[in-house]
Amino acid sequence: MVTRTFDLPIINIDRRTLNPWHVLIFFVVAVLVAVPLTVLILGSFSNAKMPTDFSLATLTFDNYPEVWLDPGTFNILYNTVVYVVGATCVGVSFAAILAWLVERTTIPGKIWIYAGVPLALAVPGLLQAMAWVILASPRSGFINKFGTDVLGFDGPIINIYTLGGMIFVEGLRLVPTAFLMLVPLLRSMDPALEEAAYTSGGRPLSTARKITLMLMAPGFVAVTIYQAIIALEVFEVPGVLGMPADIHVFSTRVYMLVAEAEFLPTYGQANALAMLYLGVAVVASYFYWRLIRRSERFTVVTGKGYRPKLNELGNWHYPAIGFVLLFMFLAIILPFLVLLYTSLVKVLQPPSAEVFATMSFKWYSWVFDYGRFGSTLSNTFKMVFATASIVTVLSFLISLVVVRSKFVARRALDQMSFMPHAIPGVVMGLAFLWVFLQYDKVTGSEIFGSIWSIVVVFVVAFIAYGTRTMNAAILQIHKDLEEASSVSGAPPWRTLWRIFVPLMMPSLVGIWVYVVLLSVRLAGAPLILYEGRRTEVLAVLLWYLWDDGEWEAVAAMGVMMMLGLFALVLLLRGLGFGKSMAQAR
Amino acid sequence: MAMIKIENLNMHYQTDEGSVHAVRGVNFNIAEGEFFTLLGPSGCGKTTTLRALAGLERPTGGTISIDGKTMFSEDRRINVPAHRRDIGMVFQSYAIWPHMDVFENVAFPLREMRGRMSKSALREKVLGALSLVQLDGYEDRPAPFLSGGQQQRLALARALVKEPKVLLLDEPLSNLDAKLREEMRDELSDLVKRLGITTVYVTHDQLEALTMSDVVAVMSEGEVMQESTPFDIYEAPANRFVAGFIGTTNFLDGRIEAAVNGHVTVSTSCGAMTCVPPDGAGPGDTVTVIVRPEDVHLAANGGNGSESGENILSGEVAEVMFLGEALECQVVIGDTRMRLKLHPSTRIAAGEKIDLAIPVDRCLVLPE
Repeated sequence: MVTRTFDLPIINIDRRTLNPWHVLIFFVVAVLVAVPLTVLILGSFSNAKMPTDFSLATLTFDNYPEVWLDPGTFNILYNTVVYVVGATCVGVSFAAILAWLVERTTIPGKIWIYAGVPLALAVPGLLQAMAWVILASPRSGFINKFGTDVLGFDGPIINIYTLGGMIFVEGLRLVPTAFLMLVPLLRSMDPALEEAAYTSGGRPLSTARKITLMLMAPGFVAVTIYQAIIALEVFEVPGVLGMPADIHVFSTRVYMLVAEAEFLPTYGQANALAMLYLGVAVVASYFYWRLIRRSERFTVVTGKGYRPKLNELGNWHYPAIGFVLLFMFLAIILPFLVLLYTSLVKVLQPPSAEVFATMSFKWYSWVFDYGRFGSTLSNTFKMVFATASIVTVLSFLISLVVVRSKFVARRALDQMSFMPHAIPGVVMGLAFLWVFLQYDKVTGSEIFGSIWSIVVVFVVAFIAYGTRTMNAAILQIHKDLEEASSVSGAPPWRTLWRIFVPLMMPSLVGIWVYVVLLSVRLAGAPLILYEGRRTEVLAVLLWYLWDDGEWEAVAAMGVMMMLGLFALVLLLRGLGFGKSMAQAR
Repeated sequence: MAMIKIENLNMHYQTDEGSVHAVRGVNFNIAEGEFFTLLGPSGCGKTTTLRALAGLERPTGGTISIDGKTMFSEDRRINVPAHRRDIGMVFQSYAIWPHMDVFENVAFPLREMRGRMSKSALREKVLGALSLVQLDGYEDRPAPFLSGGQQQRLALARALVKEPKVLLLDEPLSNLDAKLREEMRDELSDLVKRLGITTVYVTHDQLEALTMSDVVAVMSEGEVMQESTPFDIYEAPANRFVAGFIGTTNFLDGRIEAAVNGHVTVSTSCGAMTCVPPDGAGPGDTVTVIVRPEDVHLAANGGNGSESGENILSGEVAEVMFLGEALECQVVIGDTRMRLKLHPSTRIAAGEKIDLAIPVDRCLVLPE
């Protein structure tokens, strides 16, 4: 055997001198996270009319009193609180009941519930809200039309353009992720802990109260806060349901300030409001972070596969099944059917025998003939593939450094990559709008106005999810497997390629597919960064067509989009990825 | 010539509780073909030392050389990474790559070698390694479908396939059940001796250390307590730690009274005893007398007319435990309890007054 010489440069690496790769990754993440936040904060203190006018001379405190002391802002705060609390209560209670039914009762058809509830992930908030507008808008909604024309009511039965409507629709939307988080929580509870209470003389009810509930409490509260953050950050549902009725929450108000800026530039004020919005989200995320750290001490996970005693439902079987079917119907089937129906009619009107007789695929051909559709579709594919691929590779590299290296700043890197989780999409879009405009001005490049602007924003937004999932996946790979490769003579990059990548393949593919699923349906940040045809993605096109009243065309696109998303969710399930989906937004 | 040379090896760790000095100035010279064992309780630094030798941990000081080539030197700022060291290693968890079959696991080190190897040569080497560990015919088996013992053999084949200069074994038997462990222990030491490969073995199991090794180094808290042949480690422990860690030992505190006829008289809590004289201690020094339980037997004739060359101690039996192969007793002598191991046919009962005889040359004295 030839023993290699040992004066090669790579050998003289001192642990105390930094690995340049680690530093590079740290630097990339720092730039991606810190720069937009800094610019957002600076911008909030600027009275520059446009981001490009920004200079240190324009710094002022005027924006804050102007925005924060505006009575409208209190109104927004109030709306946001009511909407977030309401939607979270609706979503988490639905999800908790569903999770309890499948995990702790004898309800039949469990496998269908496990498979069915996550399918709701394939219904984007935008389409969910639009379907409910078609059903329940005060004048032309099918339900209200039926009420006035057939049942003889004087006015609308229900009005979806209200806080209540937003709470209901966003509540439905929260159910699948909350369900995916609650199921493992219920499952990981070691029945021996309850049995120990019984054998210590605990009666069932006091055991449930003192042991079961107390053990689950931190996890349950964490799930609730997590869902509240999602509700707080979402733009699509309040955008479709609240904005037409002038019911604003933070996300829609920040968007409005930016959208109106074309006529009356007030970017500084938008930033000042975004800072308040960001503050609320950061506080909520902080509590979430504190809780999940604490809940690790409450670990109730054991590897033993003992199933807890299941509650006999008896005569309650039927109401329980009815409840599950009701959820599936409201969250998945009904919106899909409504959009399908709308896409097939000539002109939108409530169902009747006559309408069904004249159904056609007219709107589908309209969509395919529509000039913007082709370019939007290709933009969307480019954006989605680039985002998913970059997120997957970058999170993998970040997690490798965080979990496996001795890099001094690995903790900071971990926390930094989790930070975007607390930044609402609209705020992120606004922050990067400033960054791109400044960057383009200085360098003469054209990032703003290109599809890459959206890719960058989404990469930062999803890196928190990607690294969380990847950290867990890498931790599962025993360190010995990697060291065995080193002592077998494989250099680090060969170890990465021959050991890590194949072992991590399911996680890598899973994260990739899930990021595709997430990035294709978000409209908030892409709307803020919208700058002509080259930046138009599917969600944005749906939004503008909806605004123009082309609801039938929106429905036709929506139906095709949902079919694609259903396929993706099923693919994810095939990859056994339910658990990590729970960690995503 | 020494195959492995470790000089003044030091290793510090940063943990949340502060800096830990895990290995403290350790020196080893391991001869070619030697079976060298690092023995000690968990946390004594034995695994850390092995990992430093493998290049998996970077020491904070000292030098390591393998076959005369410097692998690590703090002063010269040399640190050859693990994949460039001429070693094979078996991990405690075996670390069998689950995404490869048996053949690919073993072929891996060959495929990572510089220079291409022909397909047939590679196949021949892999099959040779597999047959060495008696895994012939398993090459197409997916690796996760092996039993614990088979995974162990596979890990060994993988470590040996490129015929490295040095084989490193990190508690390879600790995950096997008792019976299989005994089998693998014999097989492993046979194989290693047949191949004549220099082997460094880490274990906390004294039986493994004593049965397999040419040289045993007992470590505690990052330092080497004694480095010697298994026989000397047991028969002539250098200090209280080694005496206590290997086997069971009675410790009697005492003071040397006088030196007579090549022996010393020590006054202990059990009375005056004649013992083998220690190095570096003389009359007046406080010392510890160590007595192995199996060296104690019942005095003939109730202690009268015993042969000279034996210490006779009188006591009362406090506890008797029948172990099958032996009778383990505790006898109270003065205010000291002494453990002894007697032949199972011995008939004694708790409460009985008995006289014990201990050969003088089995009473070792350790200086404080």
